[in-house]
Amino acid sequence: MPETFATASITLDSLSKHFGATRAVDTVSLRVPAGSLVCLLGPSGCGKTTTLRMIGGFEDPTAGRILIGDEEVTTLPPYVRPTAMVFQSYALFPHMSVYDNIAYGLRARRMPRPEIKARVEDALAIMELHGQQRKSPPQLSGGQQQRVALARALVTRPKVLLFDEPLSNLDAQLRVRMRGEIRAVQRRLGITSVYVTHDQEEAFSIADQVAVMNKGHLVQLGTPRELYRQPADRFVAEFVGLSNIVPAELLDSNDAGAVVRVYGQTIRSRRPPRRPGPDTSLVLRPEAMRLEPAGASGVPGHVQTLAFVGPLVRYVVAVQDGTLLTVDQHNPDPDEFFVEGTAVSVQLPAEVPALLS
Amino acid sequence: MAGKLLTLPQRWPVTRQRQATFAALIVVEALLLALLAARLVQVRVVEDRRELVGNVETIHFRREVIGDPLLVALLAVGVAVPFFSGRLRREPVLLVALQAGILSLTIFVLWPLGQVFAQGFRAGPLATGFSLLQFERLLETPMVARATRNTLYIGAMSAVLATVIGTLIAYTLSLTDVPGKRWLRIITTLPLVSPPFAVSFAILLLFGRRGLITYDLLHITSWNIYGPHGIIFVQLISDIPLAALILSAVFASISRDLEEAAEDLGGSPLYVLRTVTFPLVTPAILTAALLTFINAIADFGNPMLIGGGYQVLATQAFIQMIELFDLQLGAALAMLLLVPALLAFALQHWITSKRSYVTVTSGARTGQVRKLPGWIKWPLYGLVLLLAAIDLLLYGSILVGAFVRAWGFDYTPTLENLSGLSSAMPMLRNSLFVSVGSGLLGGVAGILFAWLVTRQKFPGRGALDFSATLMYAIPGTVIGIGYIIAFNAAPYFWTGTFFIIIVAYAFRRLPVGLRTAVAAQRQVDPSLEEASLDLGASRLRTFALITFPLLSRAFFAGVIYIFIRSMTDLSTAIFLNAGRTQLYTVRMFRVMITGTPSEAAAFAGLLVVIILISLGLLSKLTGKSFVDLFRI
Ligand SMILES: Nc1ncnc2c1ncn2[C@@H]1O[C@H](COP(=O)(O)OP(=O)(O)O)[C@@H](O)[C@H]1O
Ligand SMILES: [Mg+2]
Repeated sequence: MPETFATASITLDSLSKHFGATRAVDTVSLRVPAGSLVCLLGPSGCGKTTTLRMIGGFEDPTAGRILIGDEEVTTLPPYVRPTAMVFQSYALFPHMSVYDNIAYGLRARRMPRPEIKARVEDALAIMELHGQQRKSPPQLSGGQQQRVALARALVTRPKVLLFDEPLSNLDAQLRVRMRGEIRAVQRRLGITSVYVTHDQEEAFSIADQVAVMNKGHLVQLGTPRELYRQPADRFVAEFVGLSNIVPAELLDSNDAGAVVRVYGQTIRSRRPPRRPGPDTSLVLRPEAMRLEPAGASGVPGHVQTLAFVGPLVRYVVAVQDGTLLTVDQHNPDPDEFFVEGTAVSVQLPAEVPALLS
Repeated sequence: MAGKLLTLPQRWPVTRQRQATFAALIVVEALLLALLAARLVQVRVVEDRRELVGNVETIHFRREVIGDPLLVALLAVGVAVPFFSGRLRREPVLLVALQAGILSLTIFVLWPLGQVFAQGFRAGPLATGFSLLQFERLLETPMVARATRNTLYIGAMSAVLATVIGTLIAYTLSLTDVPGKRWLRIITTLPLVSPPFAVSFAILLLFGRRGLITYDLLHITSWNIYGPHGIIFVQLISDIPLAALILSAVFASISRDLEEAAEDLGGSPLYVLRTVTFPLVTPAILTAALLTFINAIADFGNPMLIGGGYQVLATQAFIQMIELFDLQLGAALAMLLLVPALLAFALQHWITSKRSYVTVTSGARTGQVRKLPGWIKWPLYGLVLLLAAIDLLLYGSILVGAFVRAWGFDYTPTLENLSGLSSAMPMLRNSLFVSVGSGLLGGVAGILFAWLVTRQKFPGRGALDFSATLMYAIPGTVIGIGYIIAFNAAPYFWTGTFFIIIVAYAFRRLPVGLRTAVAAQRQVDPSLEEASLDLGASRLRTFALITFPLLSRAFFAGVIYIFIRSMTDLSTAIFLNAGRTQLYTVRMFRVMITGTPSEAAAFAGLLVVIILISLGLLSKLTGKSFVDLFRI
């Protein structure tokens, strides 16, 4: 395999897909820069698969355009598009050996035999499948099947790789390993990829950029860091795993930031609110808070549960109005845990990156 | 040695109670086997010679053993072998179930089929030893050579055409978005509810010499439907639905992902069809071709009714066996039928065993509508509509025919044809009795064998599975002939009894009962049974309380399926029924040959109504649609 592929960016321009009354995908515009990996992240049924299938050419968009590089592919059938998809079910042909599966796309292109052989062997080597080529797909383990599916997609040297929840049939440990492998291959070949998943952790660990979708809409596009630090709205905040969303009262705001009151404490935001009005809300990240014994200045509350998971202890604290706040304490000293029922004082951060609304 | 075999193996927690149960079981079994042996081998006292000494005549008697030593030896081996497995002795229920399985398959499957070969190579009824005389006789009869050629021609044509058309119909009804699919599926399955010869009969009503369409509407007198083309046409009407059912199940289960992956990798639609879709359905296509081929070569009723003197092996065998009672020549003819059937079976088995795919994986999307260009879709739809129209016309003519005075001459409505049915009530009772009996027996056997071959491990499991599925490939005519030959002399003089017909039907349809039950077994998580065993329930209790209840739907589906197939069978019945046990289909067939068309239509109509009612029942029981009921 060559060191890098001739790859290309993907541009979705106001793409929509309606199934009868269902707006599976609603005016999504998105640019995937050449060589990068973008994750489509969102709950089940939000339109991720449909978006991916439109890029692959399996669904005709109701409206909008799809460009790969500068070429418009909106109406091209799948077999002439420079895309290759790795299916959730792997879709390995059960009546063909591993070798024949990988060679399929090359044979469909009527490539000369010796070249097919060279390329397939290359792919077998890259995906560490030596000695498996005579086996039939059901004889392989889940991880190996996954590798065959990837090898099969890669040998055709597509400009774009598409993944639809490729790891959902694997167990947790293998999932972590395979996503590392996928990312490594993608990086090394520098191939533009779109990766669909509903698993926030998977998306964050693998993507250059994450596109969060909800009900057919693209809600936010950003690096994992941006999503985490500045979620666009409550949906994104919750979906990326930020649970402490608290109401805040706006005290002051200008272009450089804002000051809000939360549970009687004042907090600065480095950005002004997106919408005017006195009521707003913000995210308190669990690791940005601390617990002190009761009596210290801070928000009084009671420890409801604590869970010790090695490097950190996670407390759930009920504060005045009954809201539950998650507070993480890193490198805890087991002798100094606040046990269930203890009255504590929650120290809020002095500053947050942004307000939610 | 024997002592060792009768004790439970060590390593197992052998309690006194266990050992006692085991011993008791063995004693009971030994008694039953002794009874069976007494039935199979009898000693008869016959006169040997007379001696005249002076005035006194002394008659010397001699004891003669009757019964086949080979069969008895086979059975003895079958009973004894499982004892040698320590694993089986540890589980007496399994042991006994296995022995029962081996015994029944040996007596009712392997033995009659073996007898076809044994008799075919025998010079005459009393001859012993190997002889090719029968085949020489066959060679001398030009009729036989012609019948053989005819049979293969009819079989090949029907199989190829039925499979091709059935595949197209299945594709259209499972994977395209044409209107009215639900009803079309039901209508095109209709021919399976009646015996094939009822189709011949209906065709004659419409296209015969005094047919409604040919004579009354088109006034054609020069052309006639009788002959090989007529046979093939009729065979297609009843075999296309069979092929379509087998194929549609597979089309519906092909994962759409596979085809999309192929397109995505650069395969054009035709390339994908050739390299992915078609190879995935090949096993089903071969199965369909095999079954339609066997149906066509076995069929006796259609060539008799519509062949117009066109001779096939099935009709020849009937003449030799039943009219001339030449068992040896009949057996040789049956062998001519059996050999192509077995070859086809071996071929199909060989090819499909190399490529049989579980195409459904988790997360796979199946049975979705494929985008087809209109110039392909609408002609396919036209084909489906045409078939549906023919089916409706055929069954419509039977129902109308039953209520007119004299079809072909006088179309005034009347109820008098129904009175002819009253004389057939005893035969209907016989048929119902036999079919219910074989349904129950076949259903139980299906569950038992399915349990043995899917859940249990023992040496020779493959052979058991093979023997239990073998009948699938045997033409019904050959089964009838095999049973007549095997069970027509003391001590197995069972021809002319209900018993033998019930057994023949049950074992003939066992493969279907077995496969239904196996499919159901596979759905049941083995850990359910393991949990039961783990909680201390014995194997028997586990089977009764866990396995059977979970399989009961499959059981009843199997029972009713076998019931329907038995009610509509003619090929086996014609050989096995006798005066007292005459079956409804045989009677109906005779009426079609000798009676008026309207009388015969009343017979056929009643049978169709009975089958439809049973299907309604089955549909209620299983919650499946009418069409899916045949998909077993
Ligand atoms: N072929 C289809 N026909 C009708 N509705 C569909 C079809 N495919 C998807 N949908 C609907 O579109 C919406 C988005 O589906 P999908 O893209 O599969 O979501 P996701 O992959 O994010 O779980 C869902 O409401 C789904 O039911
Ligand atoms: Mg999806």
